[in-house]
Amino acid sequence: MSDPADSAESDADGTPSEPTGESDASTDAATSEDRSVGTSAATVEELDEELVEETVGELRRLDPRVRLYWVASRLFGGVFLAGLVALGFQFAGPEFGLVETPGGLPFGFAGRTVLVGVAVFLVFGGIAALHAVLYYRSWRYEVREDSLYLTRGVFTRVQTVAPYVRVQHIDARRGPVERVLGLSTLVVYTAGSRGADVTVPGLTDDRADELQTALKRLAIESEEEDAV
Amino acid sequence: MSDGADASGNTDDDTVADSGQGPSSETGEGATADTAGAPATEVDSDATGGGPRKLHVLTIPYRLVQQGAGIVVFLFFIGVPGLTGALGAEGGIFGLLAVLAIAAAFVGYFVAHYQRYEYELTPDTFDIRSGVFSRREREIPLRRIQNVDISQSVIQRILGIASVGLETAGGGQTEAQLQYVGEAEADRLQSEVSRLRRVGDATADGTEDGEVAEPSAETIFEITERELGVLALVSTDFRVVSLIFFAGSIFGPSFFEELEPVFFGPETVLGVLFGPIAAILSIVAIGLVAGAISAARYYGFTLTRGREELRYERGLLQKYSGTIPLSKVQTLSVRENVLARRLGYAALYIETAGHVASSGESGGSQSAVPLAERDRVERLLRSIEDVPIDQFERPPRRARERYAVRYSLVVLALTVLSYLVSTAVDFLTYWYLPLLGLLLVPVAAHLKWKHRGYHLGEDHVVTRNGFWSRTTKVVPYHRVQTTVSSETVFQRRRDLGTVVVDTAGSRSITGDDPKAVDVDVETADHVREEVPDRLYEALRSRNRARNQERIRSQAEGGPAIGSADRTDPAAD
Repeated sequence: MSDPADSAESDADGTPSEPTGESDASTDAATSEDRSVGTSAATVEELDEELVEETVGELRRLDPRVRLYWVASRLFGGVFLAGLVALGFQFAGPEFGLVETPGGLPFGFAGRTVLVGVAVFLVFGGIAALHAVLYYRSWRYEVREDSLYLTRGVFTRVQTVAPYVRVQHIDARRGPVERVLGLSTLVVYTAGSRGADVTVPGLTDDRADELQTALKRLAIESEEEDAV
Repeated sequence: MSDGADASGNTDDDTVADSGQGPSSETGEGATADTAGAPATEVDSDATGGGPRKLHVLTIPYRLVQQGAGIVVFLFFIGVPGLTGALGAEGGIFGLLAVLAIAAAFVGYFVAHYQRYEYELTPDTFDIRSGVFSRREREIPLRRIQNVDISQSVIQRILGIASVGLETAGGGQTEAQLQYVGEAEADRLQSEVSRLRRVGDATADGTEDGEVAEPSAETIFEITERELGVLALVSTDFRVVSLIFFAGSIFGPSFFEELEPVFFGPETVLGVLFGPIAAILSIVAIGLVAGAISAARYYGFTLTRGREELRYERGLLQKYSGTIPLSKVQTLSVRENVLARRLGYAALYIETAGHVASSGESGGSQSAVPLAERDRVERLLRSIEDVPIDQFERPPRRARERYAVRYSLVVLALTVLSYLVSTAVDFLTYWYLPLLGLLLVPVAAHLKWKHRGYHLGEDHVVTRNGFWSRTTKVVPYHRVQTTVSSETVFQRRRDLGTVVVDTAGSRSITGDDPKAVDVDVETADHVREEVPDRLYEALRSRNRARNQERIRSQAEGGPAIGSADRTDPAAD
């Protein structure tokens, strides 16, 4: 969307530093291709450029394993909830005539209490799994020319547009469960109060590295464009 | 600087406090007398601003009285008699000695704190070296300073000292608080910081030095007495009122039972009237108090405009003054509650990045104008960001259905609740009364809809929301951080969506972002995509303008220093 007249003008103004292709390689693919053919040694920056070109402009899905990650991380909550409900049942149950006698289990727990706990856990796990599947289906992200676009949500659909000029820094996070699954989460920080909203989970480690590099590159480029 | 005077002042303090008198007025007066000369020497010695400086000497007695005295008095009156009771006369003497030792320790600490607190204003940083036990040295780059606040309580005004707060964009709290410096010194710091910041900016921009010299401060706003009166009237806190109703409904009945014998019989009318009259009286009283407080707070409010900043002053008893740099402004909001709107008044808030007003009110955003006639507010706003704030695209009419459904559900829930209560308590016979609320639902839904709107202007996005307190927010495109659109299940049924425009403004942390609520889903998508595009356009045209200015000044032979580090993520 950067119009060529604009960049041409700013270059004509005699600003130092970058060659033309550098700052808007993403918009002007032809120029940067010419350049990469022209030069023999591939510098780090050029590799980044290629990466950027590969990454830009495609609506992508997350890695399917992210469903496991979501279910797993929610099951911790499920265990807690099941335990709580079971305890409540154990102590409040007799009042309503649901548990007649203390069971044979340690601490006088009734077999029914355990059943209730397991049932709650299963129901919760089922809901978590269903939600994870639907959430995974709704998730898409796109690395655009000048912004990162995310869309997701089962009940409330949320779409975020984060322009690269606003990117402050990019973190790749790997929690314990994610590490087991070989997944990463990318967090893109902006100065805005909703910085935490720009989070891409469920990327394979390689993909996360690529994306981090590409986004970093794009952020720097947009910054240059900004500074020109 | 005036070390001799300080030293003598300290010894005086020591002797006074050692005599075990605690928070006597002597402490204050003695110190006032012996430091009367100190501010003068302070001003004389280095008007140029060179060299490290110290806080005002009166800081020691003031803080001593403020923080230490209470504890010493407590120990003296509780601890000594207690020990005397427990251990006899010897215990009493021991206690007395202990109290004296503690008092001496306090004095020693505050003197040491004063002695070891130094600050210095250099051409591009503000340095503070402080700490008694653990030392802290800070350098705050002047360019990062958003605001310099001065505040003075009544006692501080009598003593001629003031607290100076320096705000930066990072973090939610005041970066540095100088407690306390002389009044003249506070003013000097405030104007020096903004002058040096301007010089820094100018050399970075390559503009000529001549323009930097002195800001031509013009008063752009002064609160009138009439406006102050309306402010007092309008700023009654309705939450307090509802609290009274709540408390009344809980404690009222039992109170009535107590009074029943008194009012029983021919005076029943009195009994019926008693409750409402008491409620009304207390509401009026609280309203008056709240009004008086806010009138005193904003008494003499003036806003002056310098070259690149706004400067405000206000307060009857407690005095505040501060600066708002215009280059750091994120969003402007105009707020009118129902009452003020009826009377044709509005308030203006200015948000800068990460700034939290040290005066503590208004939850993190600065109230640039507490209350003024609406067209004055609008004129002021347009002098900062030139955008009309009365053109809006309304959400589609079907959004009203949503509100109608929502309010109906609330009414029904209330009815069910009241029915349940009536079966449990057995005296509430008119449980279906809340159903009358259904009649109000269409009106409420329409009003809610009517006060929503958004507008994509040439350089700004403007949003408006709220009936009880209508807030109009203006965000320049070049301040936008991200845009987020969302559709809940209920919104999707009607093809509606909400777009939030996020900025680095401090107020948005509380979730009060500029947003276009319940617009058509296609409009939401359009706004979400259009605003970032315009952000890029705005940045480009700003850079072009800056470039041209630089080239012009280069042509004129001005200083040409690159603006490489001009990119301020929070501010740009």
